[in-house]
Amino acid sequence: MQKAQRLLDLAAFLLRAVEPVSWREIQDQFPDDYRGSSSEAAIRKFERDKAELLELGIPIRYVVGDDDLPAGYLIDKDEFYLPDLKLPPEDLALLYLAGSAALAQGAFPYARDLAHALNKLSFAARAPGAAESAGLASLQLSASEGVGEGEQAFVASRLEELARAVAAKKRVRLVYAGAERQEPTEREVDPYGLYQNAGAWYLAGWCHLRKDLRTFLLGRIRSLRVNPASPRTPDFKPRRDFSLAEYATRESWEYPLHPPQRCRIRLEPPVSPEARASFGPRARVSEARNGLLVEVEAQNSEALVRHVLSLGDRAELLSPRSLRARAREVLEQLASRCT
Amino acid sequence: MTRKKREAHKDDARERLRRVLFLVPYAVRHPGIHVRELARKCGISEKQLVEDLDFLLGVGCPPFAPDDFLDVYVEGDRVHVALHQSLSRPPRFTQSEAAALAAAANALGGEGKDRAVQALRESIPADRRESFDELVTRIYAGRPPAPDSILGRLERAIAERRAVRLLYFTESRGAEGERIAHPLTLAQRLGHWYLFAHDPARGRALPFRIDRIRDCTLTDTRFEPPSEAELQRAHLFSETSGEPVRMRLGPLAAARALARPGQVKLVKRTPQGGAVVEMQSSSADWATRYALSFGPDAEVLSPPAARRHFAEAVRRALGRYSRSASPRRSVPTGPTAS
Repeated sequence: MQKAQRLLDLAAFLLRAVEPVSWREIQDQFPDDYRGSSSEAAIRKFERDKAELLELGIPIRYVVGDDDLPAGYLIDKDEFYLPDLKLPPEDLALLYLAGSAALAQGAFPYARDLAHALNKLSFAARAPGAAESAGLASLQLSASEGVGEGEQAFVASRLEELARAVAAKKRVRLVYAGAERQEPTEREVDPYGLYQNAGAWYLAGWCHLRKDLRTFLLGRIRSLRVNPASPRTPDFKPRRDFSLAEYATRESWEYPLHPPQRCRIRLEPPVSPEARASFGPRARVSEARNGLLVEVEAQNSEALVRHVLSLGDRAELLSPRSLRARAREVLEQLASRCT
Repeated sequence: MTRKKREAHKDDARERLRRVLFLVPYAVRHPGIHVRELARKCGISEKQLVEDLDFLLGVGCPPFAPDDFLDVYVEGDRVHVALHQSLSRPPRFTQSEAAALAAAANALGGEGKDRAVQALRESIPADRRESFDELVTRIYAGRPPAPDSILGRLERAIAERRAVRLLYFTESRGAEGERIAHPLTLAQRLGHWYLFAHDPARGRALPFRIDRIRDCTLTDTRFEPPSEAELQRAHLFSETSGEPVRMRLGPLAAARALARPGQVKLVKRTPQGGAVVEMQSSSADWATRYALSFGPDAEVLSPPAARRHFAEAVRRALGRYSRSASPRRSVPTGPTAS
């Protein structure tokens, strides 16, 4: 019997049973599948099927018998069916909108699972109405049709593989083209997590080549191979001190390249909320007589210079003097090319 | 069979199982659903759907009496379920389904975010909850675009179809103003979140960047949503018009820009790893800012108006740095959270 069919038959069989089903009964019902050469092999096969069903959201439980019930396997209906999430309409809208927009991006970890989850949501709410149609609209509006589809598909497939490796804690071997090097390097990485920043996806993990925590832009991973040995056994334990959010919210000037340097930037009014927010949650912002004064600590000052320049001529680096000189130098170079 | 093929085969079988566990209950709930609609809902072709239904014909509970089979059939392009064998609702969320949805919810935000994630957690089988907890800390899909209170109100207004009063910063005017809007949905393009809302004053639907919404109040006015057909035709931005903006990038800038999907299109490679790229549907101002984010490593080339805009922006910024910095006295307002 085909495995998919066997799994579904098994699920249907246990769902219909009124009381726990003994191993012997299961063997009787599936003689071709669970009555192999040895009983141990048959049990192992059944256990694997059980694990696969659990991965599909179907828990099979073994109950020890008592006076009322015989011992055996069962699928508890309350544990099987997707329950009503009992969420207020705005929270349901949050799930529909966030999920749909993420799915429309074309690259999102567990994208296929996300599509299944969104489908199932209509069963997890009594009246999804407005939230569900807003989700459909979001899906359609967020789809970036025609923009770099090839690259998108490339990143999406990397993301899919890496997301599985992160969940199963399997080591990956990757060929990576770092920006600062022309020659790609091959390395083994323990994938700790995936994060998105400014529309691009990154892998964070322990790099065995550099013996340190490193981040990798998915678009620069040239080739990827997940350790195929023992797929259900983890290859590593993530370090306890690792926090993905810490990496993910790091601004470009916070990447440690040199000792921290206190920098001040003036934003001339009108200051758009996103220009103000672009310095991140760790920036200190105060109101000056002529606009806003932003103070940040930079460990990659060149990145800060670029960020300030990208905000246009209403943003100005005030100090330190060396950074101001660097901004001027960059602008002079550009100006000389424009004449 | 090679290992890759074997894996793909296994994956297909798994996907089919997940699909049928959804499509049977969905067809039970929507009796006589059109083949096309059910296929679309499952994200597959009609041919694939018919294959799935064929597969279901073979499924049944031992001892395989006629009543023990799952009975799903197609009659005149419509799907009917005569016997569903207890598959009347889909199974619980798997940990990765719930984790993907939770990661998306965390990246959008709203007051109900934690409630929603908690509800997702309770909707997966009990013995997967611990691994779900770990998995949600392993995906970070972005920082929410506005405080939870603003997002929460927008989500509520969308769910209840209520008009909102927005305090909105308009970039071109460089000022904040009040707007009334009928919020239809939230959408995300190239890393930015937008509220897509009908603006009764302008008589059409418009995108509002969420990070420019300074405040949002719900009103008591309810509105009729546009039809699904109207929404199908809606676009976040007007169609691409005019010439794309062309830029020259140095080697480092080219590597960075081309590794991020969707922003620019490669026109040609230049010696030493640089590139000439094009940016579709962008204003000269946006292209200038993008080029400046690469420091000395990029410049806008064409069309001439965009090139002039770039040169002008560089000249103006240089003007600022040609005089001495004048630090001003300041009144601290604490760290920014906006």
